[in-house]
Amino acid sequence: MSQQFLDTEGPGWVERGIISTEQLQQLRALYPAQPRAIGLLPLLGSILVGLSALSLVAANWQDLPEALRLALLIGALMAAYAGGEYFLARGQRGLGIGLVSLGLLLFGAGIVLTSQLYQLIGYDVTGLLAWVVAGVVLTYVYQSRTLLLLTVFIGALAQGYSAGSLSSYSYATAALTAGGLGYYWWRRPDGFCGVVLATGLLWQSALLIDFLHIKITWFFVPAMLIYAVGDWQPDRPAARAWQAPPLVAAFLFMLGLAMFGEAGSYTDRLRPQLVGFLGALLLVLLVSVAGKRARGRLASTADWLLLLPGYYFPGGLPLAVAALVVLYAYSGSVLYRGFREQAPERVNLGTVLFVLTTMVAYFKLTWDFLNKSLFFLLGGLLLLGLSWYLRRQARALPPSDQPPTPQS
Amino acid sequence: MTTFSLFPPSPEQRRRRAVLAVAAQVLFVLLVAAAGYAVSHYGRTVALRTSPVDPRDLLRGDYVSLNYDISQVPRRLWRGEAEPRRRRPVYVELQPTAAGYYAAAAVYPAEPATLPTGHVVLRGWISNAWRQGLQLRYGLERYYVPENTGLGLQRQPLLVRVSIAPWGQSRITGIEKLPAAASPR
Repeated sequence: MSQQFLDTEGPGWVERGIISTEQLQQLRALYPAQPRAIGLLPLLGSILVGLSALSLVAANWQDLPEALRLALLIGALMAAYAGGEYFLARGQRGLGIGLVSLGLLLFGAGIVLTSQLYQLIGYDVTGLLAWVVAGVVLTYVYQSRTLLLLTVFIGALAQGYSAGSLSSYSYATAALTAGGLGYYWWRRPDGFCGVVLATGLLWQSALLIDFLHIKITWFFVPAMLIYAVGDWQPDRPAARAWQAPPLVAAFLFMLGLAMFGEAGSYTDRLRPQLVGFLGALLLVLLVSVAGKRARGRLASTADWLLLLPGYYFPGGLPLAVAALVVLYAYSGSVLYRGFREQAPERVNLGTVLFVLTTMVAYFKLTWDFLNKSLFFLLGGLLLLGLSWYLRRQARALPPSDQPPTPQS
Repeated sequence: MTTFSLFPPSPEQRRRRAVLAVAAQVLFVLLVAAAGYAVSHYGRTVALRTSPVDPRDLLRGDYVSLNYDISQVPRRLWRGEAEPRRRRPVYVELQPTAAGYYAAAAVYPAEPATLPTGHVVLRGWISNAWRQGLQLRYGLERYYVPENTGLGLQRQPLLVRVSIAPWGQSRITGIEKLPAAASPR
């Protein structure tokens, strides 16, 4: 309950005699005003200041003597960290962390500019790796979400550079992101950080698949491993956020298959060697289900419907239909769980997914054959019927069958 | 001394770790600078010839673009079993020529175990491969110059001195104009 809510509603309760003025005071004391969360502002602010300083120095950079340039870099770096400590010691956490973030950015700039200063060419990603290490260390030292988010981006950048410019994969960067930042998130679970970190890990997984030149469907083995970690995370809301990016990736991939799978020209790039791939995926499934069991969330096993390997069907129409079946199974399961657990957001999500799938199915399968008004009429009736059926199902459930309220 | 704690560290632990982390970062930047000196001190220096690039994009910002003779090599120098693939890292064996600069002798997919005396290896990447030749990238294609001095450099062939350290880093240590009289290859 927020202070603001008590402020607006409280006097009304007192007026109606529901609570006394004293009780309102007690309630206010129970829910003290939270210090305003600034969140992204210090991060963005520090990025802007960093960029401006960078462009100013960069404009005159070449004219400065080498030693001065080096001193400038190190001086700015130390000043930013010292400033961060100064404000943190005075309780201004937002500003302090902002300056520490700036210091971290300046460290990266320092590595790049110093290499450039000496026209130094490296053939591995050591410099950027040091940047990632610094980010992970500072995340722990300052216990900061902002630094974690920044380090996810630095890791993504380092891996992108390694893959794009050096044609190599930095396993150390991947391990630091997954192990270092992942462990921090595990101990300090948080929804937004979960989404960003999981997305960063998906990016690094995708680069790995590209680097190894293996079939792109292998991507879903690391992706679902990320998902499975969420199953073991005790904090339910943070775990759901963490699991969203892999699920979104799987859904989009299936949607793409349903839409373009017919072409068949690239389907040979989707089919990894059957036993190895399915074995690996099954192993991840076991890890995931074990986690769901341990945390009492077996109902969410339906998420795995998205991973049904429909792409082993021959290209063309069978493949598109198989992808559609997978999509329908998944969105149907989301809807069903939404109604069963009386969770409106999930019902809405399920509806959107269902409509999306239906649209694809329509355009794919019936657009050419059906009269257009009949086409939309059928779609509408289908959804209305489904909603009616699910509501009836939900009402028929005995109250005791309701799942327990989400544990923290 | 308090016990080691990650979540969260005590205030004095935090401060001490912060100081260590910042000191390590400063040290790392200094090490990068030291590596710059070390490469020119311990590295083998080779001279590479560049040919003039299209004068319209001579100077981009603060650097000149360098087009080395060894940036394009004939396909017969490829020593790999598999077809050369774009973006693949390669090891280019360089041999000195009578004219005073180095030329490409072979392109390997992995570091060659033995080299004839006088030959050196420079690492690079394949940026393009076609039937007759390979286009290579060395990461040395940019030379950062003090303002307004680069323009004059490029209308003629240049001799670029590159230091190659035994541990793999390399850097441009010098750049000079090649007398126009020096005959091409």
